[in-house]
Amino acid sequence: MAKQTRGMQANTAQQKADEQLMARIAQGDQVAFSALYDRLSGPLFSLAFKMLGNAAEAEDALQEVCLQIWRRAAAYDSSQSSVFSWAVLLTRGKVIDRLRARGRRARVISASIEDEGNLIDPTDASTAETAADNMNRNEEATRVRTVLGGLPPDQRQAIEMAFFSELTHHEIAAQLNQPLGTIKARIRRGMLRLRDGLRRSA
Amino acid sequence: MISDELQDSAALYVLGSLDGAEAAAFEVSLKANSELRTLVAELREAASAMALSAPGRTPSAGLKQKVLRDIAAEKSSDLGDMAGGKRRGSSSAWAWAIAAMLMLFSGFLVYDRWQLRREIAQAREIDPLMQASLVALAPAKGAPAEARATVAWEPGRQTGVIKITGLPAAGTGKDYQLWAVDADHKDPVSAGIIHVDANGVAQVRFRTIAEARHVKAFAISLEREGGVPKAEGPILLVGSTT
Repeated sequence: MAKQTRGMQANTAQQKADEQLMARIAQGDQVAFSALYDRLSGPLFSLAFKMLGNAAEAEDALQEVCLQIWRRAAAYDSSQSSVFSWAVLLTRGKVIDRLRARGRRARVISASIEDEGNLIDPTDASTAETAADNMNRNEEATRVRTVLGGLPPDQRQAIEMAFFSELTHHEIAAQLNQPLGTIKARIRRGMLRLRDGLRRSA
Repeated sequence: MISDELQDSAALYVLGSLDGAEAAAFEVSLKANSELRTLVAELREAASAMALSAPGRTPSAGLKQKVLRDIAAEKSSDLGDMAGGKRRGSSSAWAWAIAAMLMLFSGFLVYDRWQLRREIAQAREIDPLMQASLVALAPAKGAPAEARATVAWEPGRQTGVIKITGLPAAGTGKDYQLWAVDADHKDPVSAGIIHVDANGVAQVRFRTIAEARHVKAFAISLEREGGVPKAEGPILLVGSTT
């Protein structure tokens, strides 16, 4: 319980800090942007890389997302989503645009947790992020993977296919050779369980 | 209490797995249901957290410098614009320039534009990412005089909504096709087939088949059933973004 309380406090504090950075970025504060870049670039790049499967393309996408964040910071509304969630949405949208422009699909991920051991070394000096940020990110990543790993495999597979690719539920149903209603129910149940699991583990 | 059906749609919506028409229909429910908006917000946060499950990687150190240079350049450009006024243009060829000129024969449909602007404002309250610009499409020469369309286009998300009125059924073996005339593309970029209902009305969400970052105009043409990769039929409605 104490750990959960600490986790929730940390999340709330991080969100507040992100919102403050966004407010400063909206005023044209480049130092604030640099700080937000340090915090978000790793997870956003990881997402882009997973979907595109190519480091150079993922960097291009991230560069575009960063410019979008800079230009649209004033439009960010904290009552609608966290800064992280907003940035993930922008990144995913940008990556999907690229995939569509090239007429290819995201690499559909397997049902297993891939590369679990491939976490960033908290002491990696090649990144500008602080070691503390990396440690927090690793903890968060472990938490999310644990919750995802606790989902029934069919639900997890369906939501991961939906999130990491540009597949519609019709296409997922076709790929998995399952009735559409079954896929919809799997995705709903999986998402609700994910939400509840993340809440409990916070 | 939110029905299972709406919960299904909410989960698919946050994952971006609804198709255009389904997403548009869901957004109507979303506007009217605060409980549903709360669920969507919660599921959106959960979906975003999935990004953290991707194997951890870091971009090259040089990327940060590039990005910081970009925003510094943009900032100084903005300051310059404030001082001297912004003037932007593209010298690239615009194959449909002549077609776009036809819109000068018709006025803008002020009411439709106002109404769509209001709908966009409401949608922005729900979705802060929505940053649409409006384009009024007027009938070209030879098109039904009462035909009108308004496009709300979000370049950042590469998605839009088109509302059409007064366009009769395309006829046997024909389909209406929407095109984006983009400065970066030699030919108009297809944004899909549009079917009007028995009253000549359609309201659908669309995407272009290729990235269109500098759209100069939208146009609707009458094409062979199923659509064509390159416009060949007569233009019925056209409107410039500027």
